[in-house]
Amino acid sequence: MVTKLNEVDCVIIGVGLTGAMLAKEMTMAGLTVVGLERGPDRRPNEEFVLPRIRDELRYQTRMELMADNSVDTVTFRNTSDMTALPIRRWGAFLPGEGVGGTSNHWGGSHWRYLPTDFKIRSVITEKYGARAIPEDMTIQDWPVTYDELEPYYDKFDKLCGVSGKAGNLKGQKIEGGNIFEGPRSDEYPSKPLKSSAGALMVAEAAKSLGYHPFPAPFAAPSAPYTNIYGVTLGACEYCGFCGRNSCEANAKASGTINVMPVLRNEPKFQLRTHAFASKLNYDRQAKRVTSVFYTDMNTGEEYEQPANIVILAGFVFTNTQMLLHSGIGQPYDPRTGRGLVGKNYCYQFEAPATAFFENKNLSPFMGAPGDAVVFDDFNGESFDHTGLGFFGGGYVRAGSGASPPIGGRDVPPETPSWGSKWKAETVKWYYGVVDFNTQGSVYANRANYMDLDPTYKDSLGRPLIRMTYNGTENDHKMSAYLLTKVEACIKAMNPSVYEVRPRPKMFTVVPYQSTHNTGGTMMGSTPGNSVVNRYQQAWDAHNLFIMGASTFPQQPGYNPTGTLGALAYWSVDKIKSSYLNNPGPLVQA
Amino acid sequence: MRLGFIGFIVLAAVSSASALAADANHGKELFLACAACHTEKADALGPSLKGIVGRKAASLDTFRYSPAMQRSNITWTEANLREYLMDPQTKVKGNRMPFSGMPNRADVDDLIAHLVTLK
Repeated sequence: MVTKLNEVDCVIIGVGLTGAMLAKEMTMAGLTVVGLERGPDRRPNEEFVLPRIRDELRYQTRMELMADNSVDTVTFRNTSDMTALPIRRWGAFLPGEGVGGTSNHWGGSHWRYLPTDFKIRSVITEKYGARAIPEDMTIQDWPVTYDELEPYYDKFDKLCGVSGKAGNLKGQKIEGGNIFEGPRSDEYPSKPLKSSAGALMVAEAAKSLGYHPFPAPFAAPSAPYTNIYGVTLGACEYCGFCGRNSCEANAKASGTINVMPVLRNEPKFQLRTHAFASKLNYDRQAKRVTSVFYTDMNTGEEYEQPANIVILAGFVFTNTQMLLHSGIGQPYDPRTGRGLVGKNYCYQFEAPATAFFENKNLSPFMGAPGDAVVFDDFNGESFDHTGLGFFGGGYVRAGSGASPPIGGRDVPPETPSWGSKWKAETVKWYYGVVDFNTQGSVYANRANYMDLDPTYKDSLGRPLIRMTYNGTENDHKMSAYLLTKVEACIKAMNPSVYEVRPRPKMFTVVPYQSTHNTGGTMMGSTPGNSVVNRYQQAWDAHNLFIMGASTFPQQPGYNPTGTLGALAYWSVDKIKSSYLNNPGPLVQA
Repeated sequence: MRLGFIGFIVLAAVSSASALAADANHGKELFLACAACHTEKADALGPSLKGIVGRKAASLDTFRYSPAMQRSNITWTEANLREYLMDPQTKVKGNRMPFSGMPNRADVDDLIAHLVTLK
């Protein structure tokens, strides 16, 4: 039996960072909002406190903050002629669960896309000719420009208290910041963190090669900062336990730290945890979603929550899955290229390298993602691709901070993975490691997509979402190119040993690579090329908004969070200024 | 040796002078770093610091203190606060405050001058 509840103005599915931001904005506009969160509530003062927060086994190894694979997971295969298998333990990527979602444990790398990234198909066509883009590369222009998004990037920066150094302030290029970035209307809210010893070595080497290193932007302030909602954030303490974990210092941006303290006091907001949303009730005639079905995971009881506005604010897989389960939009078919739901799935293409320095002490036991340096000379269309055989690019990031006691044990190639030799090598090299990572673009390919799995089901009996993905020739060439730049930089540093690790040709779901999955409900200019319009409003249901990286048409060479936050603010601004007074399509099809 | 001795005298003179001339306004600015956690809200990450000077450690019912702090048997005199703020883990080993300490003695004095005003 399904219990039908009283109608509310707005239901948000997923109370992560995006969901919390949207709930805050919608309640500020006077709407009653229900937040449905599949996982538990998470309170920093209960959960993210010393000493438990530094329990690396609990959080980093056993991944306590991640989604429960026994409830719902993703099936994976490389190509559409293979049979997919479920991911029973997260590896390559780590979707979070509970209030705060994936933002609780993200690394805090906070980026904007390049102005050219938003019109990439047009730019490439203009620069390299109409036939330059391979037929299977299904990239398209975003229906929104950098300049339109800039005020919302700025707002999101000021929600998160981002630390960093501007390289382009209102068109003025500034040495020491990222001179390749689009113009910012304002400096970062907080000064950059101190660079780690290894990062300073890399900066020097990169400069000697003519590159433009700068401190990595990081979604935690370097000094106390009060954000746009009046929440006071602490300064990063360089504790070294950021990755896969939340923040003990009230500093690293997340839904729990930056929004929930004020949202919890909002009388018009109601949080329902352990609420697993299963399906949207779709009225095809009226082109509206009338309600959301969910199951209370503690009692097994089912509920129907009617609402005027429904917002999907889950992870990429969850958002896409919800449309497929609800019969909204046409599922993508890779054979015909028709259908849009599930299309243009992209997975960030990263490849690492490590340099080892004997007898150097780089104090790796402390640090934060913001203590790294980056050079961004080979990203997007910031450099000429003539004759390179690929499009796209990425940034190079390096440093020596934050090597936790279990995970931070880089040893040179050929070292055995256990035993006394491994122990001796661990001791020998622990203090002298500089880690590099290349964070590359993924230009969508028609063979990579998501659909519903024909075999495996979740704990509610719904088919799991299936990802069909492999790195393309374009991605591999792009990554190999970035690694040549890394290798040159490493050689300039003259290490004792080094290792460059290109990605294997066949993608695997282990080991960890990045949690940057995008696409599936892509945005675009018409219902013929996209699932949502420029305000992330579904073409097929005007009261359904889809927020998060699932709306990205493809993936530029930066982490997605900065842009998905900006897009959420841009969309909710339009909802408040236009949609609430005049409900209906915000863009005419 | 002799130079060292003179150096010590000079340092002592400077630090006691700074203690006398502690700047509560500067201390209030420094307190922003504390205020990210030490608020009056129910879900604050740190205990309230109202009336902290002269209070017994781990004495508020509203905050769950670390065992280390509960066992410390300290009263927060200015002298104890000074030692604690300069190096929290040395003064109360195993306490849970995620703060590595303030290296500058004058800053600590200024901060304490502000803490005294929190009532």
